[in-house]
Amino acid sequence: MKHRMKKEENITEQNRRDFLKGGSLATLMMLMGGVSIRAEDKPKTEEGGTNFKTTGAPLNCAVIGCGTWGRELLKELARLPNAPVLAICDNYEPFLRRAKDSAPKAETFTDYLKLLEKKEVQGVFVATPSHLHKDIVIAALQAGKHVYCEAPMATTVEDARAIAQAAQAAVKLHFQPGQQLRSDPQRHALLGFVRTGSLGRTALARAQWHKKQSWRRTSSNPERERELNWRLLKATSPGLIGEIGLHLLDMASWFINAQPVSVTGCGTIIQWNDGRDVPDTIQAVVEYPGGIKWSYDCTLVNSFDAEYEMYYGSDAALMIRDNKAWMFKEVDAPQLGWEIYARKDSFYKERGIALDANATKLKAIGKKATEAAGPEEESPLHYALEAFISNSTATGAAVEDFASLYDVSDAKALATYLAGIKKTMTPCAGYKEGFEAAVTAIKANESILKGQKVTFQKEWFEIG
Amino acid sequence: MKTHYLQFTHIFGSALLLSLSVQSAENWTRYDAPPTGSKVTIEGTSNFPGHERWTLEGLIIGGYVEMDPTFDSAPKPGNVSARALVTIPVRSLKSGKAPMDSVMQQTMKQTDHPRIQYRLTEMLLKEAPKSPEGPYQFDTKGELTVAGVTNKISMPVSMERIDKTKLKFSGSTPIKMTDYGVTPPSPLGLGLFIKTGNEVKIIFEWITVQRAETAK
Repeated sequence: MKHRMKKEENITEQNRRDFLKGGSLATLMMLMGGVSIRAEDKPKTEEGGTNFKTTGAPLNCAVIGCGTWGRELLKELARLPNAPVLAICDNYEPFLRRAKDSAPKAETFTDYLKLLEKKEVQGVFVATPSHLHKDIVIAALQAGKHVYCEAPMATTVEDARAIAQAAQAAVKLHFQPGQQLRSDPQRHALLGFVRTGSLGRTALARAQWHKKQSWRRTSSNPERERELNWRLLKATSPGLIGEIGLHLLDMASWFINAQPVSVTGCGTIIQWNDGRDVPDTIQAVVEYPGGIKWSYDCTLVNSFDAEYEMYYGSDAALMIRDNKAWMFKEVDAPQLGWEIYARKDSFYKERGIALDANATKLKAIGKKATEAAGPEEESPLHYALEAFISNSTATGAAVEDFASLYDVSDAKALATYLAGIKKTMTPCAGYKEGFEAAVTAIKANESILKGQKVTFQKEWFEIG
Repeated sequence: MKTHYLQFTHIFGSALLLSLSVQSAENWTRYDAPPTGSKVTIEGTSNFPGHERWTLEGLIIGGYVEMDPTFDSAPKPGNVSARALVTIPVRSLKSGKAPMDSVMQQTMKQTDHPRIQYRLTEMLLKEAPKSPEGPYQFDTKGELTVAGVTNKISMPVSMERIDKTKLKFSGSTPIKMTDYGVTPPSPLGLGLFIKTGNEVKIIFEWITVQRAETAK
């Protein structure tokens, strides 16, 4: 299973989170109270007063791995106006047939190496089981394709490092791991709040993911069923922390702005004792510099309260659910200034101030903050795919522009130029963030399986 | 004055360049733009809340400048024998927002006219510099081509000698988009038609390095 945030609910059973999303979330939040924080609005149409298209140049795409998540990628790509899917690949024919629903014009392949020979394909999405990423990603980069590699990048530190090294060496190509929250405008707005000290001194953080489901896939063919259930075996799976927790663990490192110092975890098979050896319930405490601890629990046994994150500071607490966030201020917290524009909400036991991050902009165009207080319109996955298309074409254009003026074999100068261009690109995770998140999650999984504390070593995070 | 970039001009320009390069090999010192160290910024205005001032930034400025090798041995105010050709790929100008970059590229007709070009035609040293390193203050005249339309422009330019072989030119000039056949873009955002101001300012820092075969 690849990412599992908002989109996953569309493909799995109804749970409490669906209920919350179905209209009761706002009411619940009103009862609990908080400060609503949003990213600024983006243009809602593609054409404007002088008839411009705001979508960039198209990128010819291919998807390798057409399981549940690969097909989810294809559905989202079909919504983008500049991401034609020319090819799809899977070694399981029924998956290819189902994938054609979202990419009816795509050529089908059962061998990814044959797909990579297709010159028209410019960008490749790798959505195979995580332990199979390495060879495919490296081959794709060597074939000159931009690569979107689902998270986690790999299930071993060695594989993750090999992918990161290949991405680092492929100067002319864009590589993006599937840490989609790094592309979410709402997360960037929240990052600004956190990094500018709006929460005060960070005390602790926690997150959870609760969903009652087996995580098991079924097939009439025993051999196929074994392949499908790679996530249930230690030999091939990075466990719940690697397949699910990685995203929020990455967020914690990003918001706290530090590499973790240590992790202490534990895990048990509570409910789904069906031959698997991967725990169905885990807990982990990740320590950051300064004694800040991020705790995480993840279970396939109970669905209560679904998924959310909390960050606690000396001035306020921040809660993030789906694409919305609320700030709970302490009574002795200093005034930040923007509260006067914010919506006032009543809370369960408190009264708080609601905030829209773009309140001043809304005021300028004559809208009230409350009119635009809903969640971002698109999922984090949508933003991540948009970023991949945009950044891949921008990288290709930058290489062409450079080559039109200078000797493109001057790799150092080209790398310097592209590093500058990357700062102007649509936000997304890069190979470094992908590698660091993978290493953190892999080591956290080791801690969970052993029930022992693991102290992170600096050299584990070196790409080389 | 506007001159459309016709094929004739292109051929004539190429012939002129060829003739200049022959001359440069004989007498003049040539400085080429290296791939790093330069920067061009275009500043503009809009009515979009929070973006009343916008900027585009580019990190590659190609081209060369050729100068009389004796110009800085005993610099005196007056004409300096120099010529330059400067090239900026339109796509290399970035706003930090991909949709805005797309609007800008369409506005500047990037597909048909992928480069902004400037050709120096006259360079006047205003006063002798206080030190050999400069800064040298010039009044310049040249031809700027944007979106396929060429206009004559004048602008003050400052030159510093960074080291024995490296020169840095810097300056700025305002231009009007409509002078280059460019309609100030008015895309839609937040339910509003955003209006951008007609006048923009081009600011540059251009590094050049003396070509080895012309080094003293």
